[in-house]
Amino acid sequence: MSLKREQIAEALKKIVGEDHVVTDEQVLKESSVDRFRRFEAYHGVYRLPLPAAVVNVNSTKDVAAVIKFANENKINVVPRTGASATEGGLETALENSIVVDGSGMNKIISIDTYNMQATVQCGASLQELDDRLREQGYTTGHSPQSKPLAQLGGLVATRSIGQFSTLYGGIEDMVVGLEAVFPDGGVTRIKNVPRRAAGPDIRQVIIGNEGALCYITEVTVKIFKYFPESNKFLGYTLNTMKTGFEILREVMVNGYRPSVARLYDAEDGSYHFSHFAEGKCVMIFVAEGVKPIADATAAAIEEIVAAYDECEQVDPKLIERWFAHLNWDPANLAEEKTEIIETKNVCNTTEISGNWSIINDIYEVCMQRVKNEVPDLTLLGAHSSHSYLNGTNLYFVYFYNVVDCRPEEELTKYHLAIKKIIVEETIKAGGSMCHHHGVGKHRTQWIEAEYGSSYYILKKLKSAFDPNGIMNMGTIIPLEK
Amino acid sequence: MLTDEDWVIDKNLQIDTSFLKPTLDSYDESALEIALKLFDASENIKVPLELNALTIAGSGANTILKTLKALRFKRVVRIDSHEDLRFRPMAVASVLTQYVLKHAPLDVLLLGRQTSIGENTRTHLLVAEMLGWPCITQAIRIELVDRNHLVVTHQMDDGRLRQRIQTPCVLSIGDAPNTYMRVPTLKDRLRSGKRPIEILSIKDFQLSDETEELIDLEVIHHRRAGILIEGKSPEEKARKLYEGHLKGSVPVQER
Repeated sequence: MSLKREQIAEALKKIVGEDHVVTDEQVLKESSVDRFRRFEAYHGVYRLPLPAAVVNVNSTKDVAAVIKFANENKINVVPRTGASATEGGLETALENSIVVDGSGMNKIISIDTYNMQATVQCGASLQELDDRLREQGYTTGHSPQSKPLAQLGGLVATRSIGQFSTLYGGIEDMVVGLEAVFPDGGVTRIKNVPRRAAGPDIRQVIIGNEGALCYITEVTVKIFKYFPESNKFLGYTLNTMKTGFEILREVMVNGYRPSVARLYDAEDGSYHFSHFAEGKCVMIFVAEGVKPIADATAAAIEEIVAAYDECEQVDPKLIERWFAHLNWDPANLAEEKTEIIETKNVCNTTEISGNWSIINDIYEVCMQRVKNEVPDLTLLGAHSSHSYLNGTNLYFVYFYNVVDCRPEEELTKYHLAIKKIIVEETIKAGGSMCHHHGVGKHRTQWIEAEYGSSYYILKKLKSAFDPNGIMNMGTIIPLEK
Repeated sequence: MLTDEDWVIDKNLQIDTSFLKPTLDSYDESALEIALKLFDASENIKVPLELNALTIAGSGANTILKTLKALRFKRVVRIDSHEDLRFRPMAVASVLTQYVLKHAPLDVLLLGRQTSIGENTRTHLLVAEMLGWPCITQAIRIELVDRNHLVVTHQMDDGRLRQRIQTPCVLSIGDAPNTYMRVPTLKDRLRSGKRPIEILSIKDFQLSDETEELIDLEVIHHRRAGILIEGKSPEEKARKLYEGHLKGSVPVQER
C-alpha cells in the first residue's frame, strides 16, 4: 500500500527528526528540478510531481535509515548534494519522491599528505577542500567550472571532470575509495588502496551511478603536490578546428600531459577571446607540475605547434587572466537568472566525445544541422576541453532567444531539439553522447543506442542493486511506460 | 566592472585592460537598451526614430559595434583613437559635441554615467553645456511622447522625478532597472553584416585645451564591515543574528 505524502513526511520526521524534514511548498517546487529546467523555474513554472519532502541528512546512519524506509515503502529517492546538476538528474520524476540532501554532511574527515589522499563526507565543498589543500601545497587536481558550487558526492555520482583533466584525469581516476548506502539500507565501504586485482573494480559501479543505484556518503580522493609557480600558459590562434584537433592529437599521442589542452572554434572563441582572436579558433595549453616537467611539456608543445604555419602565439597573460574568471559561483548564478528573465536569452550546452578519426566530422555536421534546423540562435559554437590518447571531447555551447513560446515550451523548441541533433549525430558516428555531465533524465531515450549490446550489463546493475526501483528513477535508464 | 584584481595601475597611471575582453560598461548597456526600447515604442506610436551609436575607441570596440548593427542601430560610428581619454572628460565632451554639430544632427544624446576606469560623470554635463542643451542626470526610464517630447524618470537622493521634456537634450543614464541589453540572433548578424562600421579619425576633431592633468590614481576597495557570529548550531547563530541585529527591522511571520 503506497503512503500518502503527509504520511511520508511524518515517517521521515520520526527517522531523522522534525527539524530535518522540509515540506515548505516553495522548497519542494525548487527541489523538483535542477538547472536543466531553470528557464521554467525562473518563471515560476514547475510541472514535475512535487516531492513529499526534502530530508537534510547529517550522517551515513540517517541516509541508511531514510533509504531503507523508502525501499520498504517503494518511494522514489533523489540523492542530492551541491545541486549544480544540468541534465535533469535531480528532477523528481515520480509522485511523492524523497529528496535526500547530503549537503549538511560537509566534513573534511582527513587530509593524509603521506599517503596522498583526502577523505570527505559527500557534502564537502570541492572549493573548500581544494583551498585547504592548496594552503598546504597540495591540490585535488579537480577543477570543474562548478567548483565553487559542487560537492564531492555529486561530483563522483556524475563522473565529473575538471579543467586540468589532461594531467590529473577525471574524477574516476582520482577516487581511491568510497562509502555508499544501497537501497536495502546496507552501508558499503570500498577500502583505500593503491591498486588491486581482486576481481572487477567495483568503485566503477558507484562512480557515475547518478543516484540510480546507491547514495554516496563518503569519498576518498587522491591529492597531488601543487606547484603554481611553475605553471606555463600557452595560447594560439588558428584557422580551423581540423588543424586544432590534429595538434591536440599530436600532443597526446607523443605522451605529453599538459593540465589544460583546449581548442575553441571561432564562434565559441568570439564569446571568450574577441579581444585577441576575432574570427579565429583559439588553442590553449597549461603545463604544470614540478618545474622541469612543466618546462619540458611547454617546450615540447611549442615545438609541435610551431610546425603549423596557421598558428600564431599570443601573450600568455591573455590566457592566464581569462582562466582566472572562468568558474561559476552563486553570484554568477543570481546574475544569470536576472539576465535570462530580462533578455529571454538562454545558454545551454551538450557535451560528447569521439575518437580522433571522427571528432571533426561530428563537429562539422552538428554545427551545420543545428544552424539550419533550430531557430532564434544567437550563438552556436563548440570547444574541446579534455583530450585523451585516443580522442577528445566536444562541448557544444548555444545561446538562443526564447521567442513566441511559453516557458514550458522552451526546452522542446530549443535545448532538446539541439541536443537531439548532437546526440544522434554523435552516436551515429560512433562517439559517446555524454562526456561529463551525466545522462540525467533527458538523454535516456538514447541510452540503449549509446550502450549497444553492453546495455545488458547496465540493466542488470539496476535490477540487481535497486530491485524495487526506488533510486532516482528515470535517471540513466528511462522510466518504463 | 573590473575586479579588484584587474584594477592595477602602472607607473604611467594606466590601468592595463589590454588582456581583458572588452565588455560594455553597465551604464552604457542600459543606455543602449533604453534606446532600443524607445525604438520599439516608436514603431508602435508611429513616430519616426533612428538610432545611432558612437564610441571613441580603437578597433577592439568593433565586436560590440557589430552587435549594435545587428540590433537595428542605423549608424554605428567609431572615432578611431588610441589616445587615453579615460580621465579627460573635457576632451571627450568636445569630440562628442563636434560630432553632433558636424556629422549627425541628433535630437537626444544618451550617455552612460560612469565607467569603472575613467572620469565620466562630468562628460554629459560638459556636452550639454557645449551644445546649449538641457541635461538630466541619473535617468532611469525614458518614454517617447511625440517627435519633440520625452518623459524622463530620473533618480534623486530621496525619490524619483518624472518630467516631460522637450528635445534636444542630453540624458545621463544611471542605475536603470530592467535594462540588460537584448541579444541579436545569428540571422540578425548575417543581415547586418555587410553594413560597414563608420570610422572617423580623432585627428579630424579638435580636442579642447586641457585645464587638468592626472597626477595620481588610487584604488578604493569597497568592502563592507562584517561581524562573525559564533554559535554551536545554525539555530543558535540564527537566534543571535535575529536578536542582535535584525529584531525590529524585519517583519516577523508568526508560526
